[in-house]
Amino acid sequence: MNTLYKAHNFTSFQCDRSRAFYIDFKHKLVKLSFCQLLAFREQVKNIDLDAHFSGKNKHGVEILVLCNRSHIFIFDTYECIALKDLMKGTFAMLELNSLLILEV
Amino acid sequence: MKDLVRQKLSINVEIMDMLNKQIEKEAVSSSAYLAMASWCDHNGLENSANFFYEQSAEEREHMLKIFKFINDNGGTAYAPEVKSVMHEFNSLEEVFEAALDQEIEITQSIHSLVQKCRKLNDFTSEYFLQWFVNEQMEEEQLMRRVLELFDLMGDEPLKYIDDRIPGVREE
Repeated sequence: MNTLYKAHNFTSFQCDRSRAFYIDFKHKLVKLSFCQLLAFREQVKNIDLDAHFSGKNKHGVEILVLCNRSHIFIFDTYECIALKDLMKGTFAMLELNSLLILEV
Repeated sequence: MKDLVRQKLSINVEIMDMLNKQIEKEAVSSSAYLAMASWCDHNGLENSANFFYEQSAEEREHMLKIFKFINDNGGTAYAPEVKSVMHEFNSLEEVFEAALDQEIEITQSIHSLVQKCRKLNDFTSEYFLQWFVNEQMEEEQLMRRVLELFDLMGDEPLKYIDDRIPGVREE
């Protein structure tokens, strides 16, 4: 497995053999198809971080459901910031990889 | 490392995001035309109402075209959320002016999408969007022709202008 990006306690990987992606949430390793990775990225993108600081999100947590409801996660504000970083970094690395392959 | 993204997705991820935004815009546009159709119906302007019902259906068709394009190419299209649209207007002329402004906004959005496709070398999406470039040109022309009617028949009763609306689309 190739490491794509690491942010706080989370790490994303790509596995060429299974043609899948993995995210290590420290206590749990989750396998995602590309479609599921896109869906997770969208969920993370839709997290309103401002609401965590303005008091609109009173509990300061986000509940995300992954991979056709196979997994459920509860993330606090700090983890949400890390998740946003993880998704940005992961997709930047994937784009960089595409560019490198094109160049070769 | 394999390019798994390219294996699964024929279009650029950034373009996919922009296309999803475009889906939202087309949905808002479709909903706004419905509001215009409703206003016309309530004011006894039957032809104008039909004109906007048809416009609303067209915008929905545009939205579905983009929706299918994203999914067919391995991406994920998201069902749009439509927030409030304007239901109050002062006159029929204001309704058509709002419709033209809306079309201009959509045109600009399509143009920036094409621009981005060129920047990112996403030729698949650029080719797909060419249809929209042409369509938007026609939509703008249509709205302009209706507004010209108001310039030509300014003092005539609204009913006369409304009677002419179906003819504008057929031109």
